Parts: sequence; structure tokens; C-alpha cells
Amino acid sequence: MFKILKQVQEYAQESWQAAKYIGQGLSVTFDHMQRRPITVQYPYEKLVPSERYRGRIHYEFDKCIACEVCVRVCPINLPVVDWEFDKTAKKKKLNHYSIDFGVCIFCGNCVEYCPTNCLSMTEEYELASYDRHELNYDSVALGRLPYKVTQDPMVTPLKEFGYLPKGVMEPHDLPVGAQRAGKRPEEILAELEAAKPKAEATTEG
Amino acid sequence: MNSGIDLQGSFVQTLQDFGLPSGLAKAIWLPLPMLLMIIGATVGVLVVVWLERKISAAAQQRIGPEYAGPLGVLQPVADGIKLVFKEDVIPAKADPWLFTIGPILVVIPVFLSYLIVPFGQNLVVTDLNIGIFIWISLSSIAPIGLLMAGYASNNKYALLGGLRAAAQSISYEIPLALSVLAIVMMSNSLSTIDIVNQQAGYGILGWNIWRQPVGFIIFWIAALAECERLPFDLPEAEEELVAGYQTEYAGMKFALFYLGSYVNLVLSALVFAVLYLGGWEFFIPLDRLAEWIGVADTTPWLQVLTASLGIIMTIVKAYFLVFIAILLRWTVPRVRIDQLLDLGWKFLLPVSLANLLITAALKLSFPIAFGG
Repeated sequence: MFKILKQVQEYAQESWQAAKYIGQGLSVTFDHMQRRPITVQYPYEKLVPSERYRGRIHYEFDKCIACEVCVRVCPINLPVVDWEFDKTAKKKKLNHYSIDFGVCIFCGNCVEYCPTNCLSMTEEYELASYDRHELNYDSVALGRLPYKVTQDPMVTPLKEFGYLPKGVMEPHDLPVGAQRAGKRPEEILAELEAAKPKAEATTEG
Repeated sequence: MNSGIDLQGSFVQTLQDFGLPSGLAKAIWLPLPMLLMIIGATVGVLVVVWLERKISAAAQQRIGPEYAGPLGVLQPVADGIKLVFKEDVIPAKADPWLFTIGPILVVIPVFLSYLIVPFGQNLVVTDLNIGIFIWISLSSIAPIGLLMAGYASNNKYALLGGLRAAAQSISYEIPLALSVLAIVMMSNSLSTIDIVNQQAGYGILGWNIWRQPVGFIIFWIAALAECERLPFDLPEAEEELVAGYQTEYAGMKFALFYLGSYVNLVLSALVFAVLYLGGWEFFIPLDRLAEWIGVADTTPWLQVLTASLGIIMTIVKAYFLVFIAILLRWTVPRVRIDQLLDLGWKFLLPVSLANLLITAALKLSFPIAFGG
């Protein structure tokens, strides 16, 4: 008799607990309703890509020495370096250079190893096209600089998570001039520049 | 007590004054409330679809439909128009007759059930004396349509979805009917009008929710299961069954299923408001208030005011319940089919039976409070 009473009591307790948890869940969902949407309204708002963003590769034709290091370090030997040996100047003469971004995995090895720094990564990520062959960029296309999000009058730039001040979770309604934690690269550069003459003076002295 | 505005009576009277026979006058009146009900139900669905998308978006910190009309209110209209113009595909190896009849059989009973939803003392299409019972019996036609659709699609997901829908509807019909029965026992009538009138007179304190808290919860759980809303949406669980019995449907037939499910949601919310939240009654008893101020029951402006307030109150209560359903959708995870049937047969059924017995006992011992 007591056993069955105990069972009933336990069952009732479990049901009550389940109801309580559902109620707690409901209050969480309800609380979310009054929060500001965190979504980025894409064509009208865009995130500023981080400094280390690995977007489309930029290439400077005049700096390239056709050494083919980029081809060798590429996981799939993607860059096409079309050069011929100029016998009179005893130098390689570069005719064409191209990277197919339909195949590229944006690992950045070529940028890392390029001895003359003629390759670099941009913040461009909107590469969509109607034909995949259009993704095969030649040296002219590779030489174009992307539009900056911050300079586009159509777009409201939003700060990415890494650029937000400490403790701030979302980029809307930031106060003007809000800075992220730590120094910005240009500040570090300025500090280095300022420290330089002293260092030279000490080595000379 | 004055019964408020009687539109039918005045309409028929006016036509008779023009010299028409009373039978013809009534025949002219008949299609008007039906047409109004169909239009109202469809517009209600558009509102619910919009609300569902907006509230879901808010619960997930998104914005939701925004560009079709102000705040995206025209988005469901655009969706509907798209569905109307889509090609009507019947799969090659499907049974074309069953495939076509399925969605019709799902939608028509739901619309028919609107007959008994009252918005005021006389603002109801028809005050049937079997009232709330017609809703219960009509809602058990829908699983046949679902089963038909699932079977005729000649698709394993559709068949499984149809079977699940039928199992779910049938097992949740019983606790639903039992909790409605407790209400019916208290008001001594199946008519929805009588059920609301039994709750009238004390404002919010008189509503059945205080006398039937257990029935209230059981009814809502069972109604969610009947409408295949999220904690119980496993007939169309997209992760397992693609879209359940709707998998092979496109265009207008899919739109009928879609319409049917949302009309059913609104209908359940309306019936719920009628059964437990006092139907068209305001939070405070208006007729007593009018008495205190010294305004007669028959004053025209008071009648118009109470009638419009009644319609607004019914709709507000219904949409509050729809809101709760949408909030629940993003709170509770989906149950498994065995958990669903467990909940239906092993929890809701005994609890609703106990509720019915306790209500009967209370009715015998406190006939004043429990409608002896």
C-alpha cells in the first residue's frame, strides 16, 4: 500500500519537475524575443573582415620573378606561371600568371613563401559568378584591389567579433570610436617607428 | 438578460419589411455568415503564418520577413500566390484519386468546425445543440485524409508520416474529448454558447480555467498534438521523414494541407478560448458595470460596444494561445513516437479520466460553483 503511494508521489514529482523545466525553457525563449536581432542584413550591412582574413589573392605582376615557389608550395600546384627564358638578358621573362579561385582553397601558402612579396591576401570574399571559368583570374584580374567595406556608400560596415570592445557581443549600436581590446596594428607600427632612432643611436654609441 | 445584437433577426426582419417571404429572406441570409467565416478563417491563417514567422524570428534573434509590405505582413500572401501558380504534380505511380481527395478531406472538416465558434451571443454561424461535439467528431475525419494522402503518394516517408499522423490523432482525441466532457458536465450543455454563458457574470474569475486547471493543460497538450505542432510534429518530422505525408505534394494541394494545419491551429485556439477562457467575455463583467453606471441593456451604443469587444476578446484570447504555441515550438524538443504514445495513453488518458471523476464529484458536492 505504501509502495504504491510512494510510486504515485514520485510520479507526481517527476511530472511537476518536467512542467517546471518546460516553464523555465519558455521563459528563456520569451526573454530572447526582446533582444536585438544579431543578424547582419547582408547586402546592406557587411562585416569588416579581420586583418588576417584569407580572401582572394592579390598579385603584382612587376614584382614576380617567376621562381615558381608558389606552385611548389601549393597543395595542388594551382598557380599557372607561364614564362620563357630570355637568352639576351639571361633572365626569365614572365608572360602570364593566373590562379583559378574555383579550385583554390585559400590556404595562403603561396603568399607565405613568395620571396618577393608579390602575392598577398585581400579581404575580398564575394567571388560569385555565373560561370566557373570566370573564377580563373589572370594577372590583370589578380592585380585589382577589392572595394573596402568601410568606403562603400551603399553598405553599413559592422565590426566583426574580433574588433569589438571587451565584453561587447554584437556590432549594432556601438558608440562612436569604440575600440577593441589591445593595440591596433598601426599603433604598434607607430610605436616601433618611434623606438627605432633610439635603437640605432644605442647601437652606434 | 438582453442577448445583444441579433444580426440575423434584424436582417431577416428588414427583408420581410420589403415584402419578401420569410423563407426567402432566411435563404438570402444563409450564405452570408458562411462566406464571412471562410474569409475570416483564411485571413486568420495569413495572420498566423506571419505571426509564426515573426515570433520564430524574434525567438531566434532574427528579423524575419521584412520587405513584402510593412514589416513583411504580405509575405504569407506572396507565398500563397506562389503556391497557387505552381505546377500541380501527381507522381506517376501515385493513386490520382486518393491523392487528390486526401488534402480535401483534411481541409473541409476544419472549415466546417468553424460553424460552432461563437464570437458573441448571436455572432455564431449556427448554435447547434451538439455544439462542441461536432468539432470533436469532425476532427477525427482528418486522420483519414492524412492516411489517404500518405498511402496514395506511393512513398515510404509519406506512408510512415500518414500512419504516424493517424496514430497520433486517434490517441490524442480521447484525452481531448474527456477534458471537453468535464466542461460539458459543468455547463450541462454541449452548445458553445451555453458553455460561454456558464462562465459569464464574474469576469475573469468566472472562467473555466480556474475550475478546470488540469483539463486546461490536458486540452492544450492534446490540441497541440491534434494540430501536429512542434513538440508533437513527428508526422512531418523533416529530419526523419522529409515532410511526412506532404512529401509528394506541390502547388495547390500542398497549400491545402498547409492551410488546413494553420486553420486547425486557429480553430483549436478559438475553441480553447471558448471552453476555458470565457469566450467573448471581457476581464470584468461588462453588463454589471453598465448596470452600475446606469446604462440600459438595450442602449444601441452599448450593444455595439459589447459586440465588438466580444469579437476582439475572442480573437485576442485565441491569438494569445497561438503565441504560446509558437513559443513552445522553439522551447520544447520533439518527442519520439513511443514517447508520444506513452504520453497520450499512459499520462493524459488516466489524468483526464481522474479529472472527469473529480469534476463529477465536485459538481455533486458544490453544485453552486460547479454548475449543478
